Amino acid sequence: MTDPRSGFSRRALLAAGMGAVALPFLPAAARAQGSGPLRIAALSPLSGAGGTYGPSMVKAIRAVVEEANAAGGILGRPVELVVEDDQTSPEAAVRAMRKLIDVDRVVAVAGVWSSAVAAAIAPLCWESGTFLATCAGADALTNLPHQGFLARTQPNTTLQGRKFGEFALSQGARRVFMLSPQTPFVQSQFDNITAAVKAQGGETELLVYDDKKPSYRSELQQALRFRPDAIVLGGYLPDTTVLVKDMLRAGFAGTRIAFAYSVNQKLVDSVPAEAVEGIYTIAPSPAENSPAWKHMTEQAGTTTPDPYSTQSYDQANLVLLALQAAGTASGTAIRDTLRKISQTPGGTVVSRVTEGLAALKAGQALNYEGASGPCDFTEKGDIIDCQFRYEQVKAGKLTLLRIA
Amino acid sequence: MDALLQALVNGLLSGSLIAVPAVGFTALFAILRYPSFAVAGYVSVGAFAGWWVNTRFGLGAAPALVMAFIAGGLSGLACEMGALRRLMPSGALTVSIASIAVNLVLENILRFVFGNDLRGFDLPILPDLQWGGVFIGVQQLWNLALAVAVVAAVFGFLMFTRFGRAMRAVADNPDLARLKGIDPRRIAAIAVVLGAGLAGAGGVLLGLDTSIDPMTGYRVLLSVFAAAVLGGLGSVPGAVVGALVLGLAEELALLAVPATYRTAVGFAAILLILTFRPRGLLGEKAV
Amino acid sequence: MLSYLLFSVTIGGIYALLALALNLAWGGAGLVNLGLAGFFGIGAYATALATGAGLPVALGLGIAMLAGVLAGLAITGATLRLRDDYLAIVTLGFGEIVRLVALNERWLTNGADGLSGIVAPFKAQLGVQGFNQGSALAVTALVLLVWWLLRRLDASPFGRALRAVREDQELAAFAGKPVLRLKFQAFALSAALAGLAGALYAHTQSYISPDHFQPLITIYIFLAVTAGGLGRPLGALLGAYAVVIFLEGTRFLAALVPGIEPVQVAALREALVGLSLLLVLHFRPRGLLPERIPPAPKALP
Repeated sequence: MTDPRSGFSRRALLAAGMGAVALPFLPAAARAQGSGPLRIAALSPLSGAGGTYGPSMVKAIRAVVEEANAAGGILGRPVELVVEDDQTSPEAAVRAMRKLIDVDRVVAVAGVWSSAVAAAIAPLCWESGTFLATCAGADALTNLPHQGFLARTQPNTTLQGRKFGEFALSQGARRVFMLSPQTPFVQSQFDNITAAVKAQGGETELLVYDDKKPSYRSELQQALRFRPDAIVLGGYLPDTTVLVKDMLRAGFAGTRIAFAYSVNQKLVDSVPAEAVEGIYTIAPSPAENSPAWKHMTEQAGTTTPDPYSTQSYDQANLVLLALQAAGTASGTAIRDTLRKISQTPGGTVVSRVTEGLAALKAGQALNYEGASGPCDFTEKGDIIDCQFRYEQVKAGKLTLLRIA
Repeated sequence: MDALLQALVNGLLSGSLIAVPAVGFTALFAILRYPSFAVAGYVSVGAFAGWWVNTRFGLGAAPALVMAFIAGGLSGLACEMGALRRLMPSGALTVSIASIAVNLVLENILRFVFGNDLRGFDLPILPDLQWGGVFIGVQQLWNLALAVAVVAAVFGFLMFTRFGRAMRAVADNPDLARLKGIDPRRIAAIAVVLGAGLAGAGGVLLGLDTSIDPMTGYRVLLSVFAAAVLGGLGSVPGAVVGALVLGLAEELALLAVPATYRTAVGFAAILLILTFRPRGLLGEKAV
Repeated sequence: MLSYLLFSVTIGGIYALLALALNLAWGGAGLVNLGLAGFFGIGAYATALATGAGLPVALGLGIAMLAGVLAGLAITGATLRLRDDYLAIVTLGFGEIVRLVALNERWLTNGADGLSGIVAPFKAQLGVQGFNQGSALAVTALVLLVWWLLRRLDASPFGRALRAVREDQELAAFAGKPVLRLKFQAFALSAALAGLAGALYAHTQSYISPDHFQPLITIYIFLAVTAGGLGRPLGALLGAYAVVIFLEGTRFLAALVPGIEPVQVAALREALVGLSLLLVLHFRPRGLLPERIPPAPKALP
């Protein structure tokens, strides 16, 4: 069937070509994680559906790394940040993570955003002893057999859902409607809201929508037929943008509550002011006047950084400090020392990597208090407890109401 | 009853949002004879261009639409002449695949230059009119009117101008057209500017309701395809009818089907209609 | 590094199966399947659910292929009489519907959480490293087997009849070929291969979710088939490995461009994928390994 001569030469040529493409990448393997720079990774969505979040997350992580390097590095070695795009696809993320583990030999990966991506790369991480820090919200994530190699800075839905419900009640709402795209946490989030609202004799309802549509008029009108006093928005940036405009047009005058990561400053800046005026947002938060928050806002150049950025900032700080405290550069070392630097009772409270390094040098135990919260973790890798910051859009600015 | 009436209104209004890019897509198909995925890119390019004149120079929706038409049309012309035209001999489906690549490149040029941040027009949002128990969006009515006007203009252009007649001749039979002294290449170039320009203008209409980012066009690509197929590929009035039918089907289905399956409803509608009318609703002729 | 190479070989093999599937339908019968990711997903979910219910992995692979066939028949039953461009668009919608069902039918697919802990055959005995080596080996062996079978198929009367359909449907019908049945068979077989690829993905990676099956992967496979040479199994096969090398290689290339933001690096990488497809189409419009039409047998019936 095939002409053997031309077939062979062409095949050989192709093989040689492929080899030539692959060759320049080989030397990277020779560098092991024993000397030279210490590598950590940021695997964040820089394109695809989550693309609006990744860039500022990477920026936050990079700022921490630069700060650590300016202070002389970690374990006496410079820290190198390797950034890969997860394309908001677990399939692409797994390929990227393989490269980060096997070629770059990173000890930890931070800034992991989507739950599916985190779940997809988690087995690679625990099998290779790479530490995984994520902002993903799926409750199932920390139930994976991750042997301690996974921690997340996003509060789980029990913690968060209750707060949404209680906040709606505190605004005088008795009938609460939740509009959300299909996410791993929509149902449990809603159940927790419902539990809080029903306990006070209120009613709730949920509508899950398709998140790629240019208009949600019918969905919204379905919600309005429930006659809600409050509507909870469970989506992300692109779909929430459409929804807030549709809500303005429909003249909904009740309370609107959203995750701070969907109604963030970027959304507020991109829509007409009247569409977002008065919306409440809820995000995990450190205590008022937290130095980490202040430092983070200075670094990010905005008074209202996105919750995913503050979490990424904390993840980078935690990873670097755990490495320094452990004295060895490995993911296992991070796993074993994370809770010693994040929550030692009576430890020196630190809020940034330089402070932590100084305290470690002085032989002190640490208690890291971050920009997204106190950053204390359970055995499973969930946040133990955190306060929430309640903000409201006033005159085109997210304004802090209270932290509780 | 109100719910049904409301669903009808919403269907027409949300259909009109897809109508303009769908007309662009189908016009491209009528002349070039392949389904172009690059329309998603032209939509996004148009949206960004409109956004730029709006926020940079404070101009309103109309100049934004014109700018979007020009930017979309020119990007279409560049992609078609620079990258796609030469592939024609390899067959329509190959060019179609190549247009996926063109779309990927356009999307990422936008991403490279503007980043992924969402942008929005600096234009006020008009509240809905309430008529009986039914809400009607003023802005969406404008969209609908605009879509109808655009289609009327395109239709008029095709029917009554020299270029339009030449274009139809090329769409019907390029060889015969050449014999009559029509240069199919020039006609194709005009058609590309028209089709891609409409896609770009559609980007502005979409941007008014949604947000502008490198994936603005991609998010509606499936709906645009569905509308054009429903109406019959290559038929300009068909694309409008298809968009409106699609909008109606999706909104009416919301009364019975979970909202998460809106896209699926659109495709069920396609399968149903294609089963009975294999060339779509108005797909007998090229125009 | 070795694990990375092994992993790339495994992924390359899975892409190769998808490319062979696409090549069979598109290169063989001229049927463009833009919902490839959907069939890939159906196979992955079918075996994950079957083996999750306690069936052996070998049976899971079979069920995945069967599920692919059934989905293929359903979609072609509705659209095969239509023109090819209609089929292309309908399959695109089908791929999206698969994703939507996987996302929303929590009782069956566990929704957006995805299915984790999918059976990884012999992983306990082989260990992580051994499993990775075994996966690469098994997937490659399967790819070679499928490739060999497809080559035989290509040369068989069935393959020739298919090509006749692709080149000129009316002429083929006139020559007495059962056009519609041939198209059905080609599409169903292709869907079965895509399902098999999905099943292999599920068992080697142990986790799948609706997000895995986005259209991006379909684009990669089209790149593979066009780059390799449409219509020739060997072209599709090598094209798939070349795409994996290319996708992975661009990570290292894009990192070399100084002074740009990470998001720009990402944009550059994706743009490169598109550009390279265009370049291949321009300079090697028939791929790196163009199809060679075998001489027709002397006596036509």
